Amino acid sequence: MHRIVVDAMGGDLAPDEIIKGAAEASLSLRGTEIILVGDSSELGRRLPKVRHDGARMRVHHAATFVEMDEKPGEALAAKPDSSIAVAADLVARGEGDALVSAGNTGASVLACARRWKLLPNVRRAALAAVYPTELRRGEKEDPFSLILDVGATIDAEADDLVGFAVMGAVYARLVSKNRRPRVALLSNGTEAGKGPPAIVAAHARLVSATELNFIGNIEGLDIPRGVADVVVTSGFVGNVVLKMLEGVSETVVRLARYAHKEKLAWRIGLMALSSAIEQLKQVTDWQQYGGAPLLGFAHPFIKAHGRSNARAITNAIKVAHKALTGDLCGNIEKGLAELEATRHKATPSPS
Amino acid sequence: MKLPFVDRARRVAQRIGLIDAIPPGLAPGAPAPRHVFRWDLDKTYLRTEFDSVGDLVKSAIENAADKQAFPGAPALLRALHQDEHRICIVSGSPTQMRQVLAAKLALDGVAYDEFVLKNNLKNILRGRFRSLRAQIPYKLPAMLRSRIGATAPSETLFGDDAEADAIVYCLYADLVADRVSLTDLERVLTAARTYDDDAQAILDLARRVPRGDAVRRMFIHLDRRSPPQGFRRFGPRLVPVFNYFQTALVLFGDGVLSARQVLFVALEMLDSGQYERSILANSMQDLMRRGRLTRDIGLRLVDEANEAAASGALSGRDDLPPFERIAEEFRARIRELGSPEPMPFDLEPLDYVRLVDEEHDLRRERRRSGH
Repeated sequence: MHRIVVDAMGGDLAPDEIIKGAAEASLSLRGTEIILVGDSSELGRRLPKVRHDGARMRVHHAATFVEMDEKPGEALAAKPDSSIAVAADLVARGEGDALVSAGNTGASVLACARRWKLLPNVRRAALAAVYPTELRRGEKEDPFSLILDVGATIDAEADDLVGFAVMGAVYARLVSKNRRPRVALLSNGTEAGKGPPAIVAAHARLVSATELNFIGNIEGLDIPRGVADVVVTSGFVGNVVLKMLEGVSETVVRLARYAHKEKLAWRIGLMALSSAIEQLKQVTDWQQYGGAPLLGFAHPFIKAHGRSNARAITNAIKVAHKALTGDLCGNIEKGLAELEATRHKATPSPS
Repeated sequence: MKLPFVDRARRVAQRIGLIDAIPPGLAPGAPAPRHVFRWDLDKTYLRTEFDSVGDLVKSAIENAADKQAFPGAPALLRALHQDEHRICIVSGSPTQMRQVLAAKLALDGVAYDEFVLKNNLKNILRGRFRSLRAQIPYKLPAMLRSRIGATAPSETLFGDDAEADAIVYCLYADLVADRVSLTDLERVLTAARTYDDDAQAILDLARRVPRGDAVRRMFIHLDRRSPPQGFRRFGPRLVPVFNYFQTALVLFGDGVLSARQVLFVALEMLDSGQYERSILANSMQDLMRRGRLTRDIGLRLVDEANEAAASGALSGRDDLPPFERIAEEFRARIRELGSPEPMPFDLEPLDYVRLVDEEHDLRRERRRSGH
């Protein structure tokens, strides 16, 4: 039986929406135990108000929680009994198999990094994010591509980027049911020699030392097109790109609202497009994806969006369940071991 | 002089539903029971689906061996069948299913003293189609008649969340405890759209039923996984449960079952393959979270079960780890809950007319939404 630990107090809509999402997951995921971590009085009062399976849910008390806007390092130091710290501890001690949180991203990543072991051959962990794209992929016609890293490793070296590529490909194979995901490096040009030294070196290694479906470099404009299924970059660049993409989406929505208010003709035009917009919204609805993983640790961690509602949390728990069922960590370990073996073959010992 | 032919004809007529089978009550000279346990069958004891016509047909043609009891329910019923205890089954299944249901109970090793089924053929022949689904007009008189036949100072009732069991059981409990007047009962029966002559018969039974605050505990099996909070208005006497380990735990707290008997219920659930030890530990924690079991009773059960295991209750169970380890798992689950604030019950007298109206609305809503 899989045991999925859920930080019940993390997220803009916590604890109500987290509880509802976890409750729904307790009904739909048979053979899974959900461990809600948070204030037991609060959880005990709220959980009975929703449909759930009380025998497949358990509550682990945590007295405090990290606010969304707190500084991660300081918050974790001041609140060792916070829900995210207790949740990460439970998994580290083997009392849980995977973790889901919609709380403070920095604190969640730090809590895991301080308590969990990295998988063999993983140099640095990578936080992934998903982004809706024009092209779809895999058996499930998944509209989301994976971008990693988006902030766990600010400055990545070539070997880190190669590791990210392997981990991202394993995840896409497992979760998006994409048998041969297209992997690309994000750079400022598609030519192999373009970009900073780490990108150039990573390109060379990905071409020569892996069996990945590596399609080379892509530029920023290729991300929303969906040219690649797995976009590999350093945490610094990934974070800037992700925030910019989110900013552009929000601006487009604001402009549409402005147009709706400003002129009757524009309003009629938008109304005529409303069903298409609704369809687009459904296709690119991030809540259906649930969350994105922190890859490289010995346990799966799914980071749900801070604004996650119940549906997004249920789906994040389902992603965690899928990661456990498909042995995500074991497959990453295997992929990286193969990479390491190839590297040893390519560089004969100095004797 | 008794004519065997008459007896046989009566039995056949009862089996096909031409005449009602009246529960025999106590045998002449038999001592009055100390505790009566009233059980529903479908969705309480038996895993039954009757949400569609297909489900109904399947349920009707299934043989006894194909019928599935909820894990732990047979062990619990066996544990409850003791001297001075009386097991009464009141089911909404049609009388024509008596043989197969009786065979199922026999297969499970469950003994009972009364077994009442619904005579739907009679309802159809009389054109009383409202009675086919009616809950209060069927179950309430059946329970009152049973209590008149064999009165006990204590009663425990077992039902489910599929229909109106919580309302019927509380109404019965309050009626025999003299908390509901006959005038109020008449209003409830009107709200429940009871046929006039049936209502008069129920009022007559209510006048005759021996009074006493007998119903100590009611269990609602959450087959539909209804939110437990919805049952808090019925007070602490009614406990919604997700499984029969939870029922056994509450009955242990009530002093009805011993720790050894709770162990047997737990073992049957583990043996079913549908439960693991951690699920049972979660079930205990769930009751504590909802304020239905105290930490002290939980810890006492663990200690007494440990003693029972040491005295041979688990002999031959090599598939289980040493019981001390199991006990520690349960203690850990209690500890990890911390010290949650108690949840007091907001006790107001129940307005049964409103409850019946709400139940009708809910049923209509379920029909519309197809659930």
